[in-house]
Amino acid sequence: MKKALQLALGILTAIGGFFDVGNIATCSQAGAAFRFQLIWSLLLATIVVIFLVEMSGRFAAVTQKALPDTIREHFGFTFWLVPFLILTVIHLLVLGAEIGGICFALHLVTGLPLQVWALPVAVLVWLFLWRATFKTIENSTSLLGLITLAFVVAAAMHHPPTHEVLAGALPTMPSHDPENYWFIAVSIIGAVIAPYLFYFYSSGAVEDQWDVSYVPVNRAVAVMGMGFGSLVSIGAIVVAGMVLAPRGIRVTDYHQAALMLTQAFPFWGYVLFAVSMGIACLGAAIEVALSMSYSFAQTFGWNWGEDLEPAEDARFCLVYTVSILLGSLFMLFGFDPLKLTILTMAINAAVLPVVAIPMLLLMNDRTLLREHANGVISNVVTVGIVLLTLVLAVVSIPLMIVGGS
Amino acid sequence: MDIVRDILDKQLCDREEIFMGRVDGLVLEVSKDGPPRVDHFELGFAVLARRIHPRVERWLQAIRKRWSVRKNARQIVPWSAVLEITPQHIKLDLAALETPAFDWERWLRKHVIRKIPGSGAE
Repeated sequence: MKKALQLALGILTAIGGFFDVGNIATCSQAGAAFRFQLIWSLLLATIVVIFLVEMSGRFAAVTQKALPDTIREHFGFTFWLVPFLILTVIHLLVLGAEIGGICFALHLVTGLPLQVWALPVAVLVWLFLWRATFKTIENSTSLLGLITLAFVVAAAMHHPPTHEVLAGALPTMPSHDPENYWFIAVSIIGAVIAPYLFYFYSSGAVEDQWDVSYVPVNRAVAVMGMGFGSLVSIGAIVVAGMVLAPRGIRVTDYHQAALMLTQAFPFWGYVLFAVSMGIACLGAAIEVALSMSYSFAQTFGWNWGEDLEPAEDARFCLVYTVSILLGSLFMLFGFDPLKLTILTMAINAAVLPVVAIPMLLLMNDRTLLREHANGVISNVVTVGIVLLTLVLAVVSIPLMIVGGS
Repeated sequence: MDIVRDILDKQLCDREEIFMGRVDGLVLEVSKDGPPRVDHFELGFAVLARRIHPRVERWLQAIRKRWSVRKNARQIVPWSAVLEITPQHIKLDLAALETPAFDWERWLRKHVIRKIPGSGAE
């Protein structure tokens, strides 16, 4: 029974790490511009993320160690320094984008400008981390996050043409704007395979004190949790394809994305969109800030754990406090939240090899993982993932320059 | 045991298994009549900075002179303090809170964290 409850970890990671500001931005852009044609990109990313999440959870369950911890120990400080610095920048950008998402949700409901909300939102995110235990965060965000199912319900209510939706599962060449098409495809992948996700997930498994007996649970968590996130994202693409595309509305601002649910729910659509976005981004912001603390504490060997009182791990708390403050500056200084999100997702895609390669090397180390090291199937997929991430690293930034809207 | 693979960069913890940094540096003693042996571990940002580049260490030392709560940039832990080495960590016969590894932690607790409500400090 306890292990059944552990599925909550997967669902939290799904909502926080899977369906967040990046998915709202990229899926609404994809649906608005290309209807269902980019569903394949989401499916591809989902398969990759299921494999990588499964590996990072299995790693933590077998070794009782999280990834940043092991990468420094195994490859040495000077090797880890570069990914660590890149990740620190990524964490701050993602945190800025998630805080932007919460601010936008509040702006939608209250009409007050984003800048006004930057600091109150920062305080809200911080309060969760300051007072809540890992379990509370995990359970509250995963329950509240179920509201994002509104996208799936709305998608069903629009009765999308089934054959067209299914056809979108296979990659096809676009009939217009090929640069924009490929750029959105890449940014969807960057939004789904967020680099911090694996560090967060493995640290969370250590917080939950997983051991070898959790290997099967972990597999179920990876598949179901990520599957849930993917379903919501497909819902968002379909809704955008049914509501925005026929009216010629392109998403260049979150205000256009906010129209998505107003057809299915005429009265509540705006509010439902705002609440879904606010909650998904809040969960993700908490996760990213926590992930930043995990990576610092493990890199330098500090005492860490969200279940300790702040007075027991002062440096751990300092890292998330400063990160949240820095993350809120983007909104405070008037950055456009959608542009920040899209830029961040492209960078996410570009840095994937830095995350994927060390992790995949570790997954093959039998001195660490014994009989739980990657088998043949995982390794074939692994090589595919590394090749994919290398291609993304090369194309994502140039595509952003030519195809970003 | 392979000292770079199994010791360097490994997590250190005290008697109570409180994490107290990592093995940032290893110092060997070379004697005429015997093989080299590990004398002590070094801990601290200065040790890490030197591993990147000596110049980075000099920058760090310059910053430290103006702004630091630590007396020494390097903390030394003698090999004799090692209690056990497990796959997870190296356990030391020390109390983390009393060592320089916790200088920053202590300073933060006293000057920042305690002053914020709900920190769990008595």
